[in-house]
Amino acid sequence: MIAALRLLGPLAWRNVWRNPRRTIITVVVVAVGLYSILVFAALLNAWAQSSRETTLNLLTGSGQIHAQGYLDDPTVSRRMPAPDAKLQAALATPAISAWVERVRVPAVIESEYKALPVTLLGVDPARERRVSTIPGQVAEGSYLSGSTDAGIVLGRHLADRLKTRVGKRVIVMAQKANGSLAEQAYRVVGLFAGNMNAEDAYAFTGLSTAQTMLGIGASISEISFDVPDEARLGSVIAALSRVAPGLDVSPWTKLSPLAAAVDSFMRAFVYIWLWIMFVFMAIGIVNTQLMAVFERLREFGLLQALGMRPRLILLQVCLESAMLIGIGVVIGMAVSAATVAAFHGGIDLGFLAQGAEYFGAGHVLYPQLAPIQFAELSLLIWGLGIGVALWPARKAAKSSPVEAMSHAS
Amino acid sequence: MLHEAQATAAAGPIVSCRGVQKVYTLGAVKVPALNGIDLDIAAGDFATLAGPSGSGKTTLLNMIGGLDRPTAGTVTIAGEDLGKFDKNRLTELRLHKIGFVFQAYNLIPVLSAAENIEFILQLLGIAASERRRRAVAALKDVGLEGMEDRRPAYLSGGQQQRVAVARALVARPAIVLADEPTANLDSKTATDLVALMARLNAASGITFLIGTHDARVIAHARRHIEMTDGRITADENCHPNDALV
Repeated sequence: MIAALRLLGPLAWRNVWRNPRRTIITVVVVAVGLYSILVFAALLNAWAQSSRETTLNLLTGSGQIHAQGYLDDPTVSRRMPAPDAKLQAALATPAISAWVERVRVPAVIESEYKALPVTLLGVDPARERRVSTIPGQVAEGSYLSGSTDAGIVLGRHLADRLKTRVGKRVIVMAQKANGSLAEQAYRVVGLFAGNMNAEDAYAFTGLSTAQTMLGIGASISEISFDVPDEARLGSVIAALSRVAPGLDVSPWTKLSPLAAAVDSFMRAFVYIWLWIMFVFMAIGIVNTQLMAVFERLREFGLLQALGMRPRLILLQVCLESAMLIGIGVVIGMAVSAATVAAFHGGIDLGFLAQGAEYFGAGHVLYPQLAPIQFAELSLLIWGLGIGVALWPARKAAKSSPVEAMSHAS
Repeated sequence: MLHEAQATAAAGPIVSCRGVQKVYTLGAVKVPALNGIDLDIAAGDFATLAGPSGSGKTTLLNMIGGLDRPTAGTVTIAGEDLGKFDKNRLTELRLHKIGFVFQAYNLIPVLSAAENIEFILQLLGIAASERRRRAVAALKDVGLEGMEDRRPAYLSGGQQQRVAVARALVARPAIVLADEPTANLDSKTATDLVALMARLNAASGITFLIGTHDARVIAHARRHIEMTDGRITADENCHPNDALV
C-alpha cells in the first residue's frame, strides 16, 4: 500500500493541478460547504449552551438530590434530612463547583387583591448566589440577607399580578409536615426580573424561615449542585448515588427534559445541516471528478496498457479526490476556526435579545466548537467526499484499454 | 546482457497466433475484423505489419498486446496463452513482457520525460536510484540526453515518440508493439525514429512488431507481413532496405 501511495501520490498531486480552474472551483465548493457546517455548528452550540445555561443557572443546576418520589410529588412530605458528613464529603469533590440546600414546596401567595399559586423556596442566600442567577437579577429592593431572613423575594411579574410591591406584606400558605396548613405573613423585600416563567412561579425566603414555617426541623427538599465539566456529570451522579443510595440523584436532563430536548435537537440539527450541505457538495464533487475522468479516459486506457492494474487506477482517482477535497477541507477548517475565534468574545444579539430570551437563550451567544467536533465534522466531509468520488473512480478503473484509448482518439 | 527476448529465441516464437478471429458487433450488424490469423513472430525479429486502413493491423496488435480478446482462436506470448488470463494477469503480462509505442505518443503529460520512463520501473517495484539510472540511460539511448526533466508539452513530436520508445524498452520486454509510430511525424523525424528502433532492436535483441504503411519503416524490416480485410496476404523475410516499398 505504501509503495502504491509512493507511486501514485506525486502523480495524483500533479493531476489535481492539471486543470487549476476546475480544482479551485471544487476546493471553493468544499471549503464554503464545510465553513457553513462548522460555523453553523458553532452557532448552534452557542445557542444550545446559552439556552441550557439560562435554564440550569436559574435553579436547576447540573443535577439535584431529592427524597425518593419528590419529583413526582414535590410536597413537604417528600423531604429529606440535611446532608450527612458522607454526602457532604462527596459533594465537596473538585468536580462540583458549588452546591446548595433548599426547601421547595408548593404554596399559595395572597395579597389584599389576589391569591396565586407559587413555589416557595427556602434558600441560603450566600450559597444560592453561587448556584443560581436569580439573586443577581433583583430589579427592585434587595435579595435576602441570610438564612433566617423573614422577608420574601418575588418575581416582578408575580408582584404585578398580586398588585403588590417592595415593602408591602403578603401571606403565604403551605402544607406543614404534620398535614396542617401553615400560614405566614412576609414583607416583600425584593423583586427579581428575568425569565417570565420564573418571575411568575417562584417566591424566595430564608431557608430557616421556611423550615420553621413548615415545621420540618433541619429537613430540606433538595440539594442542587453545579458540575462545570459536563463530561464529568455522569461520574459525579454515580458517585453521589453510591454515597446516598436512599436518595434520588438526577442529572439536569431528567430534571429539565425540555432543555435536554432542545440540546439534543441542536446537536442533531448540526448533522441535518451537514447532510444538506453535503448533498450540494457531492453534486459538485461528482460532477467535476466525472468530467476529469472522462477527459482522461484515454490516459486511463494507456495506464492499463502500460501495466497499471485497475485497482491502482481506482486508488489514483480516489487519491486525487482525497487531495482535492482535502485542500477544501483544510481551507474550510482554517477559515471557520478564524471566524469562531473572531467571535470568541460573544455575539450580542442586540435587538433580537428579547426574542432570543423568549426561546430560552441569553442575549449574548458565544460561538464554540470543541476540537473533537471540529475534527469529526471535517473528517466526515472529507470521508464522504472521497466516498462519492468512488463512482467516477470506478468508471476510470473499469474502462477497457482499447475502448478507453479509442474513446478520445 | 542477456535479454528475455534472446533467451526465448531458442524456445520458439515469441508470439504465436492460431486461427485468431475478431468480430465486432455494431447493433445487429457483425463486422469481421480478423478472419483466422495464423502467425508466428520469432524472438529478435524486426517485423512490420502493413495494409490499408481497416485491414485489421491495429486489431491484431491489440490481440497480441492483450488489450483486446479474440472472438475465436488463441494468442500466445512467450508460451503463455492470453485466453486463460484474467484482466489483472493480462495487465501484469503487459507490464513485464510487452512494450507499446502508439501513434499519438501517449506520454503522461504531468510527468517529465524521465518520470514517464521511471513510471514503468516503479510499477515493476524497482528502487528509486536504479529507476533514475535506467531512465537516464534509456533517454541517452534514444538521443535525448539532457532532456530528462522536460515535460511532454515541451518536447517536439519526434522527441516525444523517442521517449515513448525508451519507455517501451526500459523494462526489457519480450516484444515491442508499435502502432503507426511514424504517422504523426515529419519525414526526417520519422526516418530517424525508424533507424533508432532498428538500431535498438539490433542492440538489444528485443522483438519489434510494427503496424505501419510507412515505406520508410518497411524498408528497415527484416520481415514484412501484409494484411487485407483481416487476413494475412503476404509474409516475407527480407533484408533491411531491400523490402517491398
